[in-house]
Amino acid sequence: MEPIIEIKNVVKEFKVLNRHEGLKGSIRDLFSRDYKIVRAVDNISMQIGQGEIVGYLGPNGAGKSTTIKMMTGVLEPTSGEILVGGNVPYRNRTKNAQEIGVVFGQRSQLWWALPLIESFKILKDIYQIPDADYDAMLNFYQSLVDIEPLLHKPVRQMSLGQRTLSDILAAFLHNPKIVFLDEPTIGLDVSMKAKIRTLIHALNEQKHTTVILTTHDMGDVDALCRRIVIIDKGKMLYDNDISHLKQFFGSYRTLKIRIKGDLKQYAEEITGKLPECSVSADDEWVSILVDESKSTVMHVLDKLQKDYKIRDMQLEEISTEEVIKKIYEEGVK
Amino acid sequence: MKLKKYVTLTRAGIIESLQFRMSFLIMVIGNLLYLTVTYFLWKAIYASVDTDVVNGMTFTDTLIYLVLATALNGFLEMYLVWDIGRSIQSGKIVLDLLKPMPYRRYLFWSYSGSFATQFLFTFLPTFIIVSVVTHGAIPLGINLLWFVLSVVLAIVINYSIDFIIGTVCLYTESIWGINIMKQVVILLLSGATIPLAFFPDGLRTVVSYLPFQAIYNAPLSLLLHADPDMQTVCTTLGLQAFWAFALTLISTAFWNRSLRQITVNGG
Repeated sequence: MEPIIEIKNVVKEFKVLNRHEGLKGSIRDLFSRDYKIVRAVDNISMQIGQGEIVGYLGPNGAGKSTTIKMMTGVLEPTSGEILVGGNVPYRNRTKNAQEIGVVFGQRSQLWWALPLIESFKILKDIYQIPDADYDAMLNFYQSLVDIEPLLHKPVRQMSLGQRTLSDILAAFLHNPKIVFLDEPTIGLDVSMKAKIRTLIHALNEQKHTTVILTTHDMGDVDALCRRIVIIDKGKMLYDNDISHLKQFFGSYRTLKIRIKGDLKQYAEEITGKLPECSVSADDEWVSILVDESKSTVMHVLDKLQKDYKIRDMQLEEISTEEVIKKIYEEGVK
Repeated sequence: MKLKKYVTLTRAGIIESLQFRMSFLIMVIGNLLYLTVTYFLWKAIYASVDTDVVNGMTFTDTLIYLVLATALNGFLEMYLVWDIGRSIQSGKIVLDLLKPMPYRRYLFWSYSGSFATQFLFTFLPTFIIVSVVTHGAIPLGINLLWFVLSVVLAIVINYSIDFIIGTVCLYTESIWGINIMKQVVILLLSGATIPLAFFPDGLRTVVSYLPFQAIYNAPLSLLLHADPDMQTVCTTLGLQAFWAFALTLISTAFWNRSLRQITVNGG
């Protein structure tokens, strides 16, 4: 398969002023030439094919956004090569822009004061979308989500969820080859997240759009991506199928329960009853790490409920950070 | 260049600026206050001298000039520097950079809509009122055509200067001080607050070669002279055209150079 994005040994370094503390330090900084070089992206290479959805993961400050900005052409790599749809993005930024769509989680590209439909019309003219394509796209959107009520609502009056949805639709409007979604589900409630995932999935399927998705939500990854790339501190840790990664984290979930009484003591008791799980306790919760390949959370909960009066419970998925920690500890085979 | 791509931004700007009725009203009130202050200030200045004519301008001349300068300022004053500065700080600039057209052009056309509305809703009414109140002290003839041409050039010049200052924000990451400085320099050297006729000779000569006077002084002097000779018109418009061209080139080049150095806060 011909790759649509090719990244070869890309490095991005930032020059940052070494700041000093306090008033005296701040004054000194005014005249300081004391720079340090920060390597935000360190020797990353990958190839992405047309129609793929790639989950791009990593903790905050790992270099995800920097990589995306290089792929969109906003930043120029310090060294290495990037080709997006045959273009060098930072050299042909304007041309590249025609082929890509972007959504940056907390920011909107829509016209704040205007109803959504006006933003769409503006984008139609800016990207020179033919009338027929534009109408077809709007019909397609309507078949996916009920956009009719959104179209006539000024963007500033929208809820965060509605706005994100609108921003995603706007990014796909000119039928770009690639869409970059930078934390699209951040701050959204569960039903809106589900809606947005369905939408992205459908758009990818129907339009064969390549999607690069950064997120901290493993739910997004599970629902959408077959392939994931993990970076941390600018270095690439992992680039493979999600199923391959499952062995590191997929089967683990943390069950937290609240029982009245001395939690430490209960924790010891439970350890005795559930030898396959690791149990710990803090001031509020007893945490039980369940390996679902061996026994299910429901099974554990059922067992515990017979012996204890559970007042409250929480279920936690393993987070990206934990996945990365695990990868660090155990290495990728 | 497909014009539709850009005109759509003008259209959006017009709709957008019509959304905020209150800010319109407040701006009109603000301008009225400013004009009242100007009126009494210059009345005092004229009262303190014995002659009716100071530096070749009567009290009415001066007032007409300043009222129209204020009205012109109403739509030439844009918040471009603030906008660029803010979008750099918030990182929103990334989205604008990713529009399929050069950033400078994108912003210009985004602003063009508000130029059009401001011209219609602040400048034109002021012009008509002044014209009626002064019983035709403003000549209505071929000078109107020169004026319109001159205003278009003034917009381009003003935009380029603002854009250059906005570009500086890429380096400083702060907006306030630079913008205030720019405003003061422009308002003074352009003849927006004091007609250039009142400047000392030496300074006036220097100022007449700078681009700033091309923003306010040039269009207004073309407007207020009934029958300027062709040579004056050509020199004025020619100088404006020169600055418009030169500053467009400079601001584009400066921006392109600077953009290469951006380090938009990534995370």
